[in-house]
Amino acid sequence: MAAELEGSKALGGLLSGLAQEAFHGHQGITEELLRSQLYPEVSLEEFRPFLAKMRGILKSIASADMDFNQLEAFLTAQTKKQGGITSDQAAVISKFWKNHKTKIRESLMNQSRWDSGLRGLSWRVDGKSQSRHSAQIHTPVAIMELEIGKSGQESEFLCLEFDEVKVSQLLKKLSEVEESISTLMQPA
Amino acid sequence: MEGCSEPRLDAKSELVDFQWKLGMAVSSDSCRSLKYPYVAVLLKVADHSGQVKNKCFEMTIPQFQNFYRQFKEIAAVIETV
Repeated sequence: MAAELEGSKALGGLLSGLAQEAFHGHQGITEELLRSQLYPEVSLEEFRPFLAKMRGILKSIASADMDFNQLEAFLTAQTKKQGGITSDQAAVISKFWKNHKTKIRESLMNQSRWDSGLRGLSWRVDGKSQSRHSAQIHTPVAIMELEIGKSGQESEFLCLEFDEVKVSQLLKKLSEVEESISTLMQPA
Repeated sequence: MEGCSEPRLDAKSELVDFQWKLGMAVSSDSCRSLKYPYVAVLLKVADHSGQVKNKCFEMTIPQFQNFYRQFKEIAAVIETV
């Protein structure tokens, strides 16, 4: 194996590139781009299996959402394998996962959500004043704007109006959701 | 305005019904160990013509908690207006 591949300096950059392509949906990251940027001295034939190995390791770690104990055990096993990784490389991979785990997990969660997500929320409260034709005075109204959208698609804006009664009714439903969440989060 | 992406704030709808579901995503083809809870919401909204439409979306737990907190603020403000 080319000496450059055994090193660990460019590996951090390689893992970033792999994560961008595999998890964050970045389209233009080809193996040739990674090779020429990070391992220019290495031939494509040698680079390809190395890249596949690193991609496989990163995907295994992300797929299992490894905690640090699992990660340690997994990487140690990889260093002992024939054609595995060096302990320096294991250290780079470990550091990468610790720094990027949250972001990668978020991307994986987004990838598996096929319904619209909530992208934004804003609101204001208006006080309606007396009108010529109605005796109504001072009925406050809440106006809420929800921005929702599916992954990769344009947002849809939903503008909802609530009077005090409706606010109270919805608040009650939301507290039921909150209660359910608390029940779920309680240790068994 | 051509190409303007501003929301049409005059097109207000009324919330007719709010249904919710607390789900747990366990596993997927891209991640075997997802394990994240989420709140799925179905809104039935009626526009000014009375036509009712369904709108669905999902929130993560932190997103829901922000939504709930904001709504409590609305409730507090609307009482004082």
